[in-house]
Amino acid sequence: MEDAQVKSWVLLVYTIPREPTASRAYVWRKLKRLGALLMHDAVWVLPATPWTREQFQWLAVEITELGGEALLWESRLLLDGQQEALVRQFLAKVDTAYQEILGDFERGNADLPALSRRYQQVRSQDYFHSELGKQVRTNLMAARGGFDS
Amino acid sequence: MKWVTWEQVGVDRMACAWLIMKYIDTHAEFLFVPVGKTPLPEGAEPFDIPGVRLSHHRGHCTFHTMLREFDLTDPILRRIARVVDEADTVQEVTLESVAPGLDVICRGIRLVSPDDHVALERGRLIYDALYAQFASEAIEE
Repeated sequence: MEDAQVKSWVLLVYTIPREPTASRAYVWRKLKRLGALLMHDAVWVLPATPWTREQFQWLAVEITELGGEALLWESRLLLDGQQEALVRQFLAKVDTAYQEILGDFERGNADLPALSRRYQQVRSQDYFHSELGKQVRTNLMAARGGFDS
Repeated sequence: MKWVTWEQVGVDRMACAWLIMKYIDTHAEFLFVPVGKTPLPEGAEPFDIPGVRLSHHRGHCTFHTMLREFDLTDPILRRIARVVDEADTVQEVTLESVAPGLDVICRGIRLVSPDDHVALERGRLIYDALYAQFASEAIEE
């Protein structure tokens, strides 16, 4: 996890043989699971942290093992405002998922163990500490019937 | 024998070092090089570095590769490999609740250790403990 001061991004560009489709789907699901954003159907982006670098690095090796090619960069955005816009995109992505969890709360049929697991999953992709995430956490803590925050 | 890996060890490399010292090379000597540095020192077996034999393969961590490469078939070691897989890499199926916690603890061990040698040494207790606990659960079953 990094705060909004991050100025560096890791970029993954890859190709993988069309067949078997299972390999393509596998890599794609892994990228989704990391919470990476796909820019212009070409470049997968994550904020650069030791953890994201390592995850992309191993994924690049896996892609090669699956017969594909992968290029991995670390870079900065140079134009004014683009970094903030990218951070907002990352936040919007997790906020959508957090909103769904909050929606389930409001419907009153909250399956707490399932919601907790979903929260943990979303949080692992919440690279910029969404405010909505804190709200979900507060709700979960309150729902379990505790007295602390 | 000498073994070399990148600096700033974490969950997978602590597990690998524990495995090496316990099952493969009781007189193992570990060297650490900065991330990405080449060429690697000669005469030392590299591990958990992209592209080497003892590394991640097919979505599995290096510990998992080591079990295969050294023909270690103990089911408890295999369960630890599953844990390290889940702790070190993004997996679609997660079965071991200890995995995320183990990752955090190993990172913390590195933070409170003055260098990687000390971190590996301290990590051994964690994996001895994990092995002992899994072994006792296996007996209960």
